[in-house]
Amino acid sequence: MNLVPLALYAAAFIGYALHFARRTPVSARLATTTLAAATLAHTFIIGMQTMEVGQVPVFGMASAVSMFVWLLAVAYLYMEVTTDERAMGVFILPLIIALQAIPAFSAASTIRPAVLRGPLFGIHVSSLLFAYASFALACVIGITYVLLFKEIKTKHLGVFYARLPSLQVLDQMNQRAIIVGWVFLTVGLVAGVVFAIEAHVPSMLSLEDPKIFVALISWVVYSFELFAARRIGWAGRRAAYLSALGFAIVLLNFVPISYLTSNHKF
Amino acid sequence: MHLLLVGISHRTAPVELRERVDFQARGVELALRTLASRHPGGQSGEIAVLSTCNRAELYMACDDVGAARRELLSFVSAFHDVDAGAIEPHVYDVADLEAARHLFRVAAGLDSLVVGEPQILGQVKEAHSAARQAETAGPLLNRLFHACFAVGKRVRTETNLGSGAVSVGYAAVALARKIFGDLQGRNVVVLGAGEMGKLTAQHMKSQGVKQVTIVSRTMAHAARTAEAIGGAIAARWEDMDAALAAADIVITATGATTPILTKAHVESVMRPRRGRPLFVIDIAVPRDVESAAGEIEGVFLYNIDDLQASVRENLAKRASEVERAEKIVDEELGKFAAWLRSRGVIPTVVALRQSFESIRKAELERLDFKLSGLPPEARDEARARLDEITHLLVEKLLLTPTEQLKGLADPETATMYAEAVTRVFGLDEEQKSGKVEQFRPKSGRQR
Repeated sequence: MNLVPLALYAAAFIGYALHFARRTPVSARLATTTLAAATLAHTFIIGMQTMEVGQVPVFGMASAVSMFVWLLAVAYLYMEVTTDERAMGVFILPLIIALQAIPAFSAASTIRPAVLRGPLFGIHVSSLLFAYASFALACVIGITYVLLFKEIKTKHLGVFYARLPSLQVLDQMNQRAIIVGWVFLTVGLVAGVVFAIEAHVPSMLSLEDPKIFVALISWVVYSFELFAARRIGWAGRRAAYLSALGFAIVLLNFVPISYLTSNHKF
Repeated sequence: MHLLLVGISHRTAPVELRERVDFQARGVELALRTLASRHPGGQSGEIAVLSTCNRAELYMACDDVGAARRELLSFVSAFHDVDAGAIEPHVYDVADLEAARHLFRVAAGLDSLVVGEPQILGQVKEAHSAARQAETAGPLLNRLFHACFAVGKRVRTETNLGSGAVSVGYAAVALARKIFGDLQGRNVVVLGAGEMGKLTAQHMKSQGVKQVTIVSRTMAHAARTAEAIGGAIAARWEDMDAALAAADIVITATGATTPILTKAHVESVMRPRRGRPLFVIDIAVPRDVESAAGEIEGVFLYNIDDLQASVRENLAKRASEVERAEKIVDEELGKFAAWLRSRGVIPTVVALRQSFESIRKAELERLDFKLSGLPPEARDEARARLDEITHLLVEKLLLTPTEQLKGLADPETATMYAEAVTRVFGLDEEQKSGKVEQFRPKSGRQR
């Protein structure tokens, strides 16, 4: 079922690539419309799964990734509508497509153990997924920042110079995405701790759980990025590199570690 | 009816002559009214004047191209009080489709001094609205100008003919925008009180920067330049570091023979800025800033050569777009030509329709007595029905011949057909006997 949004996301990528090359109003509308259609189809599928299982499908890696992709698409669309900047689409969609391929080509939602119910669990998982989506956006914005920075610094004004918004705007967008992500990451981690204590499963709180360990590392990285941008002037290119590093860690947590861990598959 | 263009431009005439033949200075409307009252080369009265600092062009609809050209020249000479002999060698004149092509290329920015510059389309629009105000724009010129606006718009949206900065000042502003986004709230510091620095600073000022500070070794020079820019402030040479600390953009343009800003100096300026970027524009020759300063994180250093390279690149990009723009001109010219051709047979079409209509009316009148036996109400209804039926009949009969005549592509064939129709239906005789009204184009009407 997740194949339909995957195909539509792929079509949207073609639209954004076309827009990146041509920059006409028609290609802009075409790209946004296709992505909106893909997101809508994805919403519909997540809605159907929710009806089927009786809860929002976030348990199991496939469902969690699908949810994450959906959040990322919504967050990106929101950013596009508010800033009217479409050049980033061509960078964000490959990530969306790569991740959406996981739920599209793997088994549907696993039955969730009874212990993993309740509002706290919901807050824990959805906050973290939203945080990761924000970090994904920040990472892509950071990459485009570095590309544009290099063009201006080395005086080879080319493709990115002509298409991307200014360094200042990219830096602000990156900072905003990091702040939103950091807040949700913190909320998600706290909710996870409280949930584990309340559910009397202290084993879940062990730092030996790679998922918790890596999540904490990413929290440290992003906290440092926020601190450094304000206190020691690590804005701009350094912030962009940190955003990319942070998301690499998040992604590590998201895909490979979900295969490794036995009980933390969300 | 012909379309005639007579004009001078930066391609044919020196600036001294262009300055003297400036319609803007003497009033375009006065020129239009004066010229229209002289009816040069025929009775159409359709005239437009396009006057910019780079060109003075007169567009008109006329019957006799040669006579109109002579009239226009003598008018220009008299109106501007310039000897006709002095203008003559610099004048170009083209007629019909070539005149239209010229205006299309002008509106597209293809004939401009800097190819693709954006102001010209607005100036062409002004020329048209001036002609409309002076009531010298008729069907031909209205159509011509609307077609050229379409060309200008298409070239702007479908090609990159107007993109990229093509002067050093614009290139600097474009770069600053790419680094800082909005320039409002930015501080600009100019080192040196010379002309180049002043011009670039003025350019920045026009983009809405917060403050421009002029730093010069001689305070009096700095104050004078600051005043010339308007709203700028002057600072002493000793206060340079404080000014640099607050700056976002630094323009260096001093006459110094050795670098004023070394890498170490810029590093010390950057330290307390906490990563806030600094855009340094070194337009001095020899250079004022050590090129190694550009290696510092957060410093973007561009010298005059870099900016000029960017300008050259943009000019080259524009040149590569010329072909696409010319294609658009050709396409729109094709449409205009089709309209012109269809316009040639219009008097015949109108005469034909009027002839049919007068026959219809005459027959209705002649047969009206046959309805006299009916009661009044039924008679009125019968008349209305008859009128409707005969009208439809005539319309249907005329539809195909009208379309066929208007669709003739080749002007010679069109003339031949028009003559044939005139002969076959006796339209000439009817015109002579006054049965058919003479065709007169209505001013301002569009087809």
